[in-house]
Amino acid sequence: MTISRKCVPFTPFERELTKSKIAIVTAGGVHLKDQEPFNIADELGDLGYREIPEDVDSSDLVVTHHHYDHRDADEDINVVFPIDVLRDLNSDGFVGGVAKKHIGYMGYTMQLKAMYEGTAREIANDIDRNSRADAVVLTGG
Amino acid sequence: MKGIPTVLITVSPEVSAQMRPPRALYPKGFKVGNSLGRPGMRDLQKRVLHDALALLTQNTRPGEAVTIEYPEYGEQYEPPRVKKL
Repeated sequence: MTISRKCVPFTPFERELTKSKIAIVTAGGVHLKDQEPFNIADELGDLGYREIPEDVDSSDLVVTHHHYDHRDADEDINVVFPIDVLRDLNSDGFVGGVAKKHIGYMGYTMQLKAMYEGTAREIANDIDRNSRADAVVLTGG
Repeated sequence: MKGIPTVLITVSPEVSAQMRPPRALYPKGFKVGNSLGRPGMRDLQKRVLHDALALLTQNTRPGEAVTIEYPEYGEQYEPPRVKKL
């Protein structure tokens, strides 16, 4: 499938939020402490991404990203990766659940084509096949 | 793959618009690194995520961000601009 750069890739949402599981995909460089950090030494950027499980303890998440000030995220990861906030909305009954898998990647790259046609597609396929998400919230830094 | 509905929370609406996101929320004046608000402001963070998810069920204009103000955020910041070549 070729992604058009000219039209908006709009997918209708045809469910009820109260019955929908939500995944988070962030470009904010979020990953688990015990996962390999993003390679900030590479001036071209790191094209990889990290999978974050649904039952993650938010205190086990860190940020590796050198193109925004992430001191606030270091203090409270929810400012860029709102996993605890999503759990709250689930407890409130506003959404139907937290998806099985979430994604963090470093949204800085000089390799735009590889990011757009490679990493982005891999993340979309991963979420589509493995997260059981009905919708995705995207965040930057 | 038939596609997955998405909604973006952006603090850089002009930059994000270049990628024509299908749905996007710009919490006005939030700085980069504070997509959901400031640390520990859980009620504000909940409002922002609630409002973003609600866009999934609303008739938004694909490619354009919806701007919402959250006065409780406090000091406002100018969003990054697209650099003109």
